[in-house]
Amino acid sequence: MLLMIPLLGALLSGFICGMLGYYVQRYGVTTLSFTIAHSALAGAAISLVLGFNTTLFTLFFAVASALLIGYLTSKSPIRRELICMGLFSLLNAVAILMLYMSSTNVLSTVQLSTILWGSVLAITCEKIIAIVTIAATFLVYAVIFKPQIDAILFDQKLAEAEGVNVKLHSTILLLFVGSAIAIILRITGGFLVFSLLYNPVASALLLSKRANIQQLISPILGSSVAIAGLFASFMYNLPVGASIALLSSVTLLLSYVSRVTINYMLAQRSVRSKEGIGEAFTVHLNRVLIYQNVSDTVRFITVPAELPTGTGLPSETQRSPINLLDS
Amino acid sequence: MQPIRGEAVRLENVWITYSGAGKPAIRNINLSIPFGVLTLIRGPNGAGKTTLIETCLGLLKPIKGNAYLLGVNTKDERIFEVRRKCSYVPQDFMKPPYEHYTAKKVIEMGLSSNRVITDPLPDYFQYELEFYAKELDVLSLLEKPIGILSGGQQQKVFIVRALIRRPKLLFLDEPFSSLDKESREKVTEIVVNYIKKHRGSSAIIVSHSFSKIEEYADIIVTINDGVITDIRFQR
Repeated sequence: MLLMIPLLGALLSGFICGMLGYYVQRYGVTTLSFTIAHSALAGAAISLVLGFNTTLFTLFFAVASALLIGYLTSKSPIRRELICMGLFSLLNAVAILMLYMSSTNVLSTVQLSTILWGSVLAITCEKIIAIVTIAATFLVYAVIFKPQIDAILFDQKLAEAEGVNVKLHSTILLLFVGSAIAIILRITGGFLVFSLLYNPVASALLLSKRANIQQLISPILGSSVAIAGLFASFMYNLPVGASIALLSSVTLLLSYVSRVTINYMLAQRSVRSKEGIGEAFTVHLNRVLIYQNVSDTVRFITVPAELPTGTGLPSETQRSPINLLDS
Repeated sequence: MQPIRGEAVRLENVWITYSGAGKPAIRNINLSIPFGVLTLIRGPNGAGKTTLIETCLGLLKPIKGNAYLLGVNTKDERIFEVRRKCSYVPQDFMKPPYEHYTAKKVIEMGLSSNRVITDPLPDYFQYELEFYAKELDVLSLLEKPIGILSGGQQQKVFIVRALIRRPKLLFLDEPFSSLDKESREKVTEIVVNYIKKHRGSSAIIVSHSFSKIEEYADIIVTINDGVITDIRFQR
């Protein structure tokens, strides 16, 4: 029973981060959410020094920064990446300065290490209820506004041209991200919370090219690495945030290796079988130019002796990125 | 200067500069497009045609001057509501092979700006979907993922999506770029008929390669190096 609450907390944290991370990536607001994650850290540092309720103040700070970033990026002529990086530097400086200027009492508290490195002790029933509430509210929002959200996911510029308020929906997404980060911050730590937001979706993007599968895989991976990180933290007495971040990075690396291996195997198979997914077209210096339909890449690989060759390239290659991984 | 009622688009001394660019993409543009006309914008590559069309839609905001779409300044918050009366087929429409949305779903998305999940599709949707899809020879492709369709087929799907919105103003950016001769003529015929059928609707077509549309265009705007060099009224 003692382990149940942290376990449930890790599972839900991973799920909500993986779910929101997918939308963050497809909406193209990764830099914005990164800045919000660090504003939550600054909020937590300020609250610690001033003696406010850390969770509530962090939540307030994250939500306020989400609204500010949403407003600035829609109004300012300056590129939003520059705005975000400027705010990111400022907020990090605020966080560090607040901690530096605080009393020795604050520096020696468990709360400080919780904010910076995360702690399983920070997972409480209240936080689990908060995470469930945020996740449920987001799901309700995503279902009600599915037509607009689908239009944004499919083509943001076209959706905007057709009258979908893309900036409003992006700001709403950032609000959900800000709220989730404010709650999860004390579990994973302020410096590593974004690893749960980005690494699962980055792994999902590598494991599948289909958006609906990515949408499914991302929260599953998020939950899995969060639980595995929690266990690693228990077993080896490590900071829970670093354990989760490390495992999510390992998952990302394994996903990359899997993608490269799958691409290679598919290309090999297509060379051996004329009816495979790709076809061999031209032979040049013992190498064959392969058009690979599934992974949308064009690559050179070694020619087997029995290779049937053709001439010319399909017109589709003109719109495919050229990836010479094996050349 | 107040926008005149009855103008679909009005640009007053408009300058657009992309962030980081040394010189403006378009400069000192003055243009008025009334309702019920077919306008062709032509010019060489890099002349500023797409910038001009995106400025009309309010996707790009002028650094100087004002742009009005259906009488509303594109810097106004109400621009989202106005855009719901417009349709746009972008130049860079191609989707990657793994894009999973079906062609029908993509067309349906065109009606998403006014809908939440509980709102039904309009009564005319199914009829017009079949009509335009049949006319453009994509009826049998509606249930297929958009990503596996060829460039020409995808472009036709986006044209169906634009038309099914029943727009007051139709923006088509290089709509013939991936189409064969027969399809180009079909699209021209459909757009011309659309304007005739939906009285008061306008279409603005950007094209640098196809001359057939010139026969039907009421206004031909020539742009070069970011400046309008000629405006010809044919009717």
